[in-house]
Amino acid sequence: MKKQVWYTLLAVAGIALTIAGVVWLRAGAENVVPYLCIGVGAGIFGHGTGAWLQYRALKDAPEARRRIEIETNDERNVAMNNRAKAKAYDAMIYIFSALMLVFALMEIDFVAVLLLVAGYLAVCGIYVYYRVRYDREM
Amino acid sequence: MKNRLEELRKARGIRQEELADALGVSRQTIGSLENGRYNPSILLAFRLARYFEMSIEDIFIYEEETQ
Repeated sequence: MKKQVWYTLLAVAGIALTIAGVVWLRAGAENVVPYLCIGVGAGIFGHGTGAWLQYRALKDAPEARRRIEIETNDERNVAMNNRAKAKAYDAMIYIFSALMLVFALMEIDFVAVLLLVAGYLAVCGIYVYYRVRYDREM
Repeated sequence: MKNRLEELRKARGIRQEELADALGVSRQTIGSLENGRYNPSILLAFRLARYFEMSIEDIFIYEEETQ
């Protein structure tokens, strides 16, 4: 019940944010915030509705719920997910590097390049943090 | 690493789905284990051994890789 209320609240908040964005835009806003409201609101609404529908569908189907739980926690599935994520991370490092180079060569706004570099460094920092943490834990 | 999972399962007349259910893994995991495409974690290996009432060494055959 608690989850159902939470998902409903999420969906309602999403709609409210989207409507607020549209109203704000119609009122003649000239900045990016109303567009952000619409985008984020639609995302929250989609997530909340999806989660609510899934909750409703599985509420009276314990067998289906058990199946999904097994599939989610299945060690082979988890291993495959982790491997895929590791490959994606490796690819992302090269893609980010190439993008930074291209942006710099295109002489795109310095702030945009710096933000990209900051994002890249943050990702690398998160990797190092977890590498050290797992080194202590395992 | 080779294993005798398929042989043991068939000898007991169990379907892959039933074994997967009993161990709390997906049917695909059992299929991959039987084909030798996936090596189980030590926990799953113990669960399998307990299920078949055998030791891990009786189910999984470790072969030293030759250079």
